[in-house]
Amino acid sequence: MIRLTGVELRRLIARRLTVIGVGGVLIITALLLFAVWRDAQPMSAAEQRQNQIYLEEAQKDWKLNGAQYQKDCEAQYQSQPDPKPSLKEFCPGPPTIDQFGKPEVVFAELMPDLLQGVSYLLVGIAFLVGASFVGAEFSSGAIGNWLTFEPRRMRVYGSKLLGGAIGFVPVAVVVVAFLTLGAFVIVDQLGNTASTTGKVWGDLNETSGRIVLMTAVGAALGGVVGVLLRHTAAAIGLVMGYLILIEGVFGSFLTKAQPWLVRLNFDAFIGHGATYWVQQCESSGGSYSCTSVEKHVSFEHGAWYLGITAVALVVLGALVFRRRDVN
Amino acid sequence: MPDLAIRTQALRKTYRTRRGKRVVAVQGLDLEVPIGGVHGFLGPNGSGKTTTIRMLLGLVRADAGTMTVFDQVVPDRLPDIVGRVGAIVESPKFFPAFSGRKNLELLADAIGAPRQRVGEVLAETSLNDRGKDKFKSYSLGMKQRLAIAATLLKEPDLLIFDEPTNGLDPAGIREIRETMRYLGQQGRTVLVSSHILAEVEQVADTVSIIGHGRLLASGTVAEVIGGSGKPTVKVALDTAAGEHAANQERATSILTSAGLSVRAEGKYLFVDGAEHSADVTRRLAQQELYVSELIPVRAGLESVFLELTADEGLGGQQ
Ligand SMILES: Nc1ncnc2c1ncn2[C@@H]1O[C@H](COP(=O)(O)OP(=O)(O)OP(=O)(O)O)[C@@H](O)[C@H]1O
Ligand SMILES: [Mg+2]
Repeated sequence: MIRLTGVELRRLIARRLTVIGVGGVLIITALLLFAVWRDAQPMSAAEQRQNQIYLEEAQKDWKLNGAQYQKDCEAQYQSQPDPKPSLKEFCPGPPTIDQFGKPEVVFAELMPDLLQGVSYLLVGIAFLVGASFVGAEFSSGAIGNWLTFEPRRMRVYGSKLLGGAIGFVPVAVVVVAFLTLGAFVIVDQLGNTASTTGKVWGDLNETSGRIVLMTAVGAALGGVVGVLLRHTAAAIGLVMGYLILIEGVFGSFLTKAQPWLVRLNFDAFIGHGATYWVQQCESSGGSYSCTSVEKHVSFEHGAWYLGITAVALVVLGALVFRRRDVN
Repeated sequence: MPDLAIRTQALRKTYRTRRGKRVVAVQGLDLEVPIGGVHGFLGPNGSGKTTTIRMLLGLVRADAGTMTVFDQVVPDRLPDIVGRVGAIVESPKFFPAFSGRKNLELLADAIGAPRQRVGEVLAETSLNDRGKDKFKSYSLGMKQRLAIAATLLKEPDLLIFDEPTNGLDPAGIREIRETMRYLGQQGRTVLVSSHILAEVEQVADTVSIIGHGRLLASGTVAEVIGGSGKPTVKVALDTAAGEHAANQERATSILTSAGLSVRAEGKYLFVDGAEHSADVTRRLAQQELYVSELIPVRAGLESVFLELTADEGLGGQQ
C-alpha cells in the first residue's frame, strides 16, 4: 500500500494537469497579493486634497444640522435589534478625516478573508486535479491494465485517494505560507500589523491547518468522484451543476436549507463558525412583512457535516469500485 | 489429470446493458489450458473470449462457476499468482500522455520490480529508441510491443494475449507469432485468443473452440482437425460447355459409389474423404472423365472452425 501510494504520488506529479493546476494556484495567489498591495497603498496627494474638501463640506453641514442628525440617530439606535453596538459606534458624532478615503489595512482583519478566498481556490483545484487523476485512468482504460498488475482493488483505490491527498498537502502549505508571509510583509510596510497578537497568529495557524486538511480531502474526494463517474469531464460537470443548482439557486431560494449545504459548512469549518441570513416572514392582520435574520453555524456543525459527507463518499466509491466490471 | 494452467468450470457471465437488456456472454464454459506451450482460444466475434479472459484476470465478476489459475482459485487468490500472469486484453491501454518508459517504470514500481528491468524489456521488444516518446504517439504495433514489454516485467509463467494481432501488418503479425512461439518453447504457457484461425493454427499446440459462450471442441490441433476426417479436394472437369452438367452428375455418382462424399458448387466438385488426390483423378479417368483442375482445399482448423461455429451466428445473443 505504501509502495502503491508512492507510485500514485509519482504519477500525480508527472501529470501535466497537476503542474498546470498548481501553477495556476500560485499565479492567482500572487495576484491576490498584488491586490493587497494596491489596496494598502497610501492615498495620492490629489486623493488627499479631494478628501479634505469632502470633509470640510461635511463639517459645514454638521454645524447646521448636526444636532438633528444626532437626535435621529439616537432614536434609530433604540430600535436596533440586540445585541446592539455601542452608541458611540452607532452614532459617531461630528465627521472626522478618517471617515473619508481609505481605511487603513489591518493584517489581523485582512487575513481571515484572504485565507477563506484561497481555501476555495485550493480545494477547487485539488478536487479538479484529483478527479482527473483518477477519471482519466478509467476513460483511457489504463485502469484495466493497472489491475492486472495489482488486483487488490481496495489497495488500488486507497493508494489513488491517498496519493492525491498527500500530493496536495505541500501545495496547500506552500500557498498558504506564501500568501500569509507576502501579505504580512506588504501590510507591515503600508498598513497595520501591530494588532497581530499571539492569539491572532494562533487562529491564523489553525485556519491554515484546516485549509491544508480540506485541500487534501478535496483531492481525495475528486478521486472518488473520478471513480464513480469514470470521466474527468463528467466529474467536473457534476460538481459545477451541483454548485450552481443546489448550492446556488436552491440555497438562495430556500435560505433555511443553508446549514445543510456544503458551502456554509465549509465556511464554518475553515472560519471557525459562519453566519448566514434567513428571511423570516410573518403575516399579521393582512400585512405581510419579511425581515432578514442572522443565524450562526458552528464550527462543530461544519466539521461533523464535512467529516460525515467525506467518509460517506469514500465508502460509496469503495463499494462501487470493489464490485464494478472494468473494461 | 494433467497439470493445468487454467481451468474453468460452468463459468457464466451475463452483462446487463444500460437499457436493462441482458446479454449472456459466457454460459457454462469449461475450459482447460495445459501448462506449457501455446493454447489457441478460438471463437467468432462476440462468443465470449474477451469476457472469459477478463473474468480470469478479475476485471469482470463471474455470475457463476469456478476458475483456477495454476490451481489457485481466482479471483480470490489472484494476488498470489498475479506476478506469474502477464496479460494483454484487447488493445493495449496505458497512460496516453506518459512515455512508454514512464508507463513501464510506474508498473515496475507498483510490483516492486527493479527499475533496470524497464530498460531490459524495452530492449527485448526493440522499443528502446522510442521509449521516451508518449504512448499516444505510438503506432499500433509499438503499442502492442509495449504491452508485451509490460508483461515481461513480471517474468510470467502464463501469458494471456487477447487478439494480439488485431490491426497489425503482416510483419507485425509474424513478429507476434514468433514471440508467442518462443515463449511457448521456453516452457511458458501462452493463451492466445483469436477469431482468425490461420493466425493461431501455426503456433498453437492445443486449442479450444467456443461459440455462444460454450466450449465446442478442444484438444491438440491434430485431434481437433482429426475429428473432421480426410482432406478435401476441389475438382474441375475438362468438358465441353454443353455436357458440363451431365458430366458433373456422372462424376458425382462415380465418386460417391467409391465411398467419397461429393458436393457440387458452380464448376467445381468438392470431394471429401480421398486418401490421395490422385485417387480422384484415376477413378474419373477410368470412366473417360478428365480433370482440368485439382486443388487440395486446406483441411485445417478453418473448416472445422467454420463447421463448429456455423450455426452460432454472431454468438452472444440470447
Ligand atoms: N461491457 C459489456 N456490456 C454489455 N455487453 C457486453 C460487454 N462486453 C461484452 N459484451 C457482450 O458480451 C458478448 C461477448 O463479448 P466478448 O467481448 O467477450 O466477445 P469476444 O469473443 O471477445 O469477441 P471479439 O472476437 O469480437 O473480440 C457480446 O455479445 C458482447 O456484446
Ligand atoms: Mg474480444
